[in-house]
Amino acid sequence: MTARSVPTDRDVDVVVVGGGPAGSCAALVAARAGLSVVLLERGPFPGSKNMYGGVVYPRILDELIPEWWNDVPIQRWVTRRSTMLLTETQALTVDFRAGAWGAPPYNGATAYRPDFDNWLACHAQAAGAQLITSTTATGLLRDSAGTVIGVRTDRPDGDLTAHVVIACDGVNSFLAKEAGLYEHTDAKHFTLGVKETLALPKHVIDERFGVRGREGVDIEIIGATGGVNGGGFLYTNLDTIAIGVVLKLSKLGAQQQRPEQIIATLKQHPAIAPLVQDGELKEYSAHIIPEAGLTMMPKMTTDGMLVAGDAAALCLAAGIWLEGVNFAMASGMYAGQAAVEAVQANDTSAVGLAGYQRRLSDTFVLKDHRKLRRAPALVLSDRVQHLYPGMVANVVERMFRVDNPNPKPGVRRIFNQERKRAGVRRRDLLRDGWTGFRSFG
Amino acid sequence: MTDHTGHTRAHPAEILAPNAWGGMSFQERMATAEFRIHHQPHIVVDGKVCADCSTRECVVACPANLFVPTSDGGIVFNHEQCFECGTCYLVCNREGAISWHYPEGGHGVVFRRT
Amino acid sequence: MILACLKWVTHPGEPHDERFAGISPADQSALEFALVQAAALGLGVTAVTVGPAGAEKVLRDALACGAQRAVRIHSAGTLSSAEVADALAAAAPAARWVWCGDYSLDRGTGSVPAYLAAALDAQQALGVISVAWQGDGVVATRRLDGGRRELLSVAAPAVISVEGATAHLRRAGLGALRAAASATIDVVHPAAPAHIDEAVVRAYRPRARALAAPLGEQPLDRLRALAATGAATATRVETVTLAPPAAAARIAAALREWGYLD
Repeated sequence: MTARSVPTDRDVDVVVVGGGPAGSCAALVAARAGLSVVLLERGPFPGSKNMYGGVVYPRILDELIPEWWNDVPIQRWVTRRSTMLLTETQALTVDFRAGAWGAPPYNGATAYRPDFDNWLACHAQAAGAQLITSTTATGLLRDSAGTVIGVRTDRPDGDLTAHVVIACDGVNSFLAKEAGLYEHTDAKHFTLGVKETLALPKHVIDERFGVRGREGVDIEIIGATGGVNGGGFLYTNLDTIAIGVVLKLSKLGAQQQRPEQIIATLKQHPAIAPLVQDGELKEYSAHIIPEAGLTMMPKMTTDGMLVAGDAAALCLAAGIWLEGVNFAMASGMYAGQAAVEAVQANDTSAVGLAGYQRRLSDTFVLKDHRKLRRAPALVLSDRVQHLYPGMVANVVERMFRVDNPNPKPGVRRIFNQERKRAGVRRRDLLRDGWTGFRSFG
Repeated sequence: MTDHTGHTRAHPAEILAPNAWGGMSFQERMATAEFRIHHQPHIVVDGKVCADCSTRECVVACPANLFVPTSDGGIVFNHEQCFECGTCYLVCNREGAISWHYPEGGHGVVFRRT
Repeated sequence: MILACLKWVTHPGEPHDERFAGISPADQSALEFALVQAAALGLGVTAVTVGPAGAEKVLRDALACGAQRAVRIHSAGTLSSAEVADALAAAAPAARWVWCGDYSLDRGTGSVPAYLAAALDAQQALGVISVAWQGDGVVATRRLDGGRRELLSVAAPAVISVEGATAHLRRAGLGALRAAASATIDVVHPAAPAHIDEAVVRAYRPRARALAAPLGEQPLDRLRALAATGAATATRVETVTLAPPAAAARIAAALREWGYLD
């Protein structure tokens, strides 16, 4: 650690707004480098305002907390991943198990965010960051040149000046908007996630999902969101399961369907009902997701300020990949590193903070987003949502149906018949296939 | 200092009836989450602006069902069991209908198993 | 010196989770009254709690709100109300005004303030619903049966316990909150309890009483004999005027007679 005297013209070196995964990683990195850091959290404790679709991929923590798996408060290690395609009466599941994911260094884990985020914030505190809870940042402080020089909070005597502000204030990021980093906000770039946490005895979960000990399951679901574009998810905690849906905001009103109604419909699906039966509702929750990836991302840097995590729309929602916490942790870590560089070089202008954008571009954070830039729109498109699931399920149904005395038809013929029946034009199918291939291939 | 009342409050009578799905009333559903209620609403809805809105997407989209149409064509809003998600201001297409802030620090929803 | 007694307890639903721990709205009101009174009298507030290290969180919050000093009386286990009161009195024997919440988050017996007044040999005003300042003293309003109110003129030294909604605790300033994070908290270890109450915990209902067998040939006669004399059901109402010690003795005798005390 390099010793650095507390700045005289500012209260602290770095103020991080938001004690989620991005904020805590940013605070941890900056504090570890010897900077004075305040981490602001509006909830009574970190994680108390946070909710997600269930799986955290913590490998990025290798760089910050060696052998993080020894004390991370997770529910289960995901050793089984399924993707389900549902129509009203059919279900096609691709199911994958990897025993190796149940041992260090692991792959993904289910966790309660009030536990996980709080744990990460404790590490930031241990590194020397000062955590201030129950305090909402209400705006930015700027000097006459427009440089961000701190934040205003909702406490008396609540201004806090800093050399660098790292805004990790979540999907609604009023700080990033106030700083002019977003050109505009469009409802079609967001989805609403609603979730039910249902209590079931551990042994029942183990039996229903075919797992043991700390092994867990993550199921992504396409095609059971009642006409509203989106998707579903179902995953196992230790003695609860969580089921929820992700819904395109702009379609909810048009379809006149309420979010909890759509979960209820999903829970009644013949492929889902046996898994969730008798689960007692422990918590109902909701959160907004920045879904549109690169399309909606703000400028990441301005004079005196960086933006990370959901606040920077870094959530990756690309159908088979649904990740956010890892992008938040990584971007927070890189923001912290860039802030350290800038403060040490005594240049916290956008130029001095440019190391942030460089790190984002050079790592998975923006590489994944660039590669998958067309995926979010494809996954939420009307064809993928409303036409393809039925078409594919019908093809499979006819493939496996033994229709004696008729002989087995060829798959190609079935496919063409079903494509026509679903009203899918060959041209559109090829185009979507090409988009998908370029994204996922 | 932490305001530690930790209790949920009653909800407008319109949605008290158990619904067809799962036999659980919406009020019971909302009672599963903890809300530390601040006396000042963090979201203010201007019913006058809403009066001539025909789409009213907030009424359908709000996951906490906090927007309730009234018989006289307005909308009443109750901030007490708000998830602070932002759905309402994102779907709202009327400038100035919803003024949206986070509640005072330490207040509002507190998740445990999310 | 003004003392604010704060009871830190974990949430009943999350007994092992300090994230959900805190103090009751009544304790918050008590702290606010202590701070207001301290400003008026030019005194300092000492915030005190009995509990484990985790309880220091509420003391730091109290310091951020304006308390001058914070004392944690170390206790990892469960103490009786008398033990808690003795420990508080030993930690602050010179307290002029002591403010307590009327109830804690775990809804204990609510008897600490009374024990504390006895231990400090101070006046007491318990379950107060509003407070008015009168010179150096306090006029406290209490509820009585039948919707009546009792006004108590209280002078130091005194213990006052207040209900939850009586005052709204001020919001700590950001600077004060940051400073409180590294402020010193005095930790004292209570002396071994001087007396151990063998508290008999049971519901407050009368014990069964032995009555002389009623006279009568038929069961109906015997029932009539019981009912007619009223021996089984009667509650007598009497108003007596006695000096406090004699009144206390009379009340105890009546309770014993009715079966409430052994």
